[in-house]
Amino acid sequence: MSENTFYQEFEVFSKRTPTASYQHQFDLLAPNEDMALIMAQENFMRREPVVDIWVVNKKHIRSMNQEERLSLKRLDNKDYRTTKGYGYLRKKWREYEQGMLDEKEILSWAGGRKK
Amino acid sequence: MVTMKVLTENEKMEHFMERIENGDKIQADDWMPEEYRQTLIKLISMHGISEIMGALPEKEWVPKAPSLYRKLGIMAKVQDEMGHGQLLLRVAEDLMKPYGRTRGDLMQDLFDEDLKFHNVFHMETKTWADAGLIGWLVDGAAIITQTNMLDASYGPYAKALQRICAEEVFHAQHGEAIIMALAEGTDEQKAMVQDALNRWWPALLMFFGPPSKETTGTSKQEATIKYRIRKNTNEELRQSFLDKYIPRILSLSLTIPDSTLHYDDEKQLWSYQQPDWAEFKKIITNNGPKSQARLNLRRSSYQNNAWVREALSAVIQ
Amino acid sequence: MSNVEKMMSAEEKEALEALLFQLADDDFLFSFRASEWLGLAPHIEEDVASSSITQDTMGHAAMYYKLLEDLGLEKADDLAHLRSAEERKNSIITERVNGDGYYMDTPQYDWAYTVVRSYFYTQAKKVKIDSLRENCSYEPLVDLAIKINMELYYHAMHWKVWFEQLLSSTEEAKSRMVNAIELVVQDMGDLFSYGDQKEAIERFGLIGTEEELQEKWMEAMRPTFEKVGINLPEIPSPKLNGRNGQHTEELQTAIDTLSEVYRLDTATSW
Repeated sequence: MSENTFYQEFEVFSKRTPTASYQHQFDLLAPNEDMALIMAQENFMRREPVVDIWVVNKKHIRSMNQEERLSLKRLDNKDYRTTKGYGYLRKKWREYEQGMLDEKEILSWAGGRKK
Repeated sequence: MVTMKVLTENEKMEHFMERIENGDKIQADDWMPEEYRQTLIKLISMHGISEIMGALPEKEWVPKAPSLYRKLGIMAKVQDEMGHGQLLLRVAEDLMKPYGRTRGDLMQDLFDEDLKFHNVFHMETKTWADAGLIGWLVDGAAIITQTNMLDASYGPYAKALQRICAEEVFHAQHGEAIIMALAEGTDEQKAMVQDALNRWWPALLMFFGPPSKETTGTSKQEATIKYRIRKNTNEELRQSFLDKYIPRILSLSLTIPDSTLHYDDEKQLWSYQQPDWAEFKKIITNNGPKSQARLNLRRSSYQNNAWVREALSAVIQ
Repeated sequence: MSNVEKMMSAEEKEALEALLFQLADDDFLFSFRASEWLGLAPHIEEDVASSSITQDTMGHAAMYYKLLEDLGLEKADDLAHLRSAEERKNSIITERVNGDGYYMDTPQYDWAYTVVRSYFYTQAKKVKIDSLRENCSYEPLVDLAIKINMELYYHAMHWKVWFEQLLSSTEEAKSRMVNAIELVVQDMGDLFSYGDQKEAIERFGLIGTEEELQEKWMEAMRPTFEKVGINLPEIPSPKLNGRNGQHTEELQTAIDTLSEVYRLDTATSW
């Protein structure tokens, strides 16, 4: 006798650290959210740090079909909005005897001012 | 703008093969030819069910493992196999959606003996050394075939295989640890490993499947290569296994139970005694030493617990 | 030996060891039985999830056996594998089979029994661990209890959800669960007992009293039982007290299996 599986598909998302994004893992079958939640971590994140989990019933996800995914393509001509478009400044600043405030430098300011 | 709707079947097929040849990944809801879908369903459901059946020979050794650390290690390994089964069955379920078939149908196919599982899991596990050997060489063989598909054209399968292969690394090392302890141990322990290797050697060779259709009458390998699900043929994969593992086996002072085995420098291939392919056919049609016992175990447990699945159906929200 | 151990009298050490054996053997047998379900659970995702709980629990047993080893007893693996049934101090409930039949044949394992046993046992464990964390006079055991406590949140949540959901589903499930509760409760008589060591264990402030902890368990279970509309069970006094080495045949079969390979050669490395 073949049983019908009435189970629903739940997509599992987790984040590794408090400031990380939720990352999609895999999906599992469960009758409801609470069941999905108690199975999530051990099924997909046994070997990684987890600080939080979301389970989402697949039916609540508006995904894209093959056609719609065509709408995601873009031309690679947008240097005007990336640092790549402004690389020439490095040489210019050198002429003024100044360094370049690039991504590496600026993000290092997270360390704060030395006391 | 060209949409899928206005293309003819031939054009769709051409477009599809172009995508694959460009290394594009096919998704679950993309258009795909029937043959592709069927090939994947057969392959992945057999793979998934094999993982689940594969848990059974190993689980015998879970309670018996000879230390707390080994009990924990083998438990974690068998848990992974069930996890692999879960990942693969989900991939197969999504592919079967157009046919309205589900996980329960696959289990029924297994019980009706329409769905096969890998030859190695029909074999007996006589000693603790078998448990170690499985982790070392059976998983070793599986690593060869699975890594060969890491670049599979079907996205969801490739994704599952990434997780599976990562976990296989632990399995291989767990198996090696067991074997190493035995190979460096007492005379009885060394004899235990050699005995296990003697018994498992033909099954390991058979794991990669027959070299060609001529050997057993059918072969899936052409379709899976054409559709870029795997890269190499059964024989090429078997040769890779021999390349990687023969030196390691010999390094532990083990003897391979094939006196004809040698490397042919001219052909750049291992020459070995063919396993009995008629025996292989018998095994995978569920007439192997433990085929029926394991099917019974799986079937009886599944049926005993049907009430639980019914209960879960009653709490769907 | 640490300062704490230097200050311990022989009597206190004996009481401590008795308690540690009870805790270790409980977790070890519980996880042994749980491990027999591997590959056979009713739902694949649950098979994977509950296997982690089994591993965690065996990990806890290993930690207790290590504490005993540190106190000068035999090595942890010997304690786990070689002691006879009469030397074991686990509660009867942990040694009971999951159902009829051999785990490799066609066993008739009962998922309802497993859910009830797991839930009730985990709650009892939580009550004991809380008491150890708050009261125990032996520092290394407090540290261990803090670690174990961390994993109990998941274990308790997991089994509580199963317990509640099965009891709120089909008539058949409810009836099986009610039967299972009856069966489990029958064997819980010695779960909170310290056996012959009661007086010493309680006197040295190693853990709360039997009565206190059993009462705490009842209070912890009350909301769940109310939610599913079942009466709180009455825990009987024990017919057999595992804490005093009184056990069923089922423990012997468990020991035979788990020590089968280890006994081939206890001197070698595996």
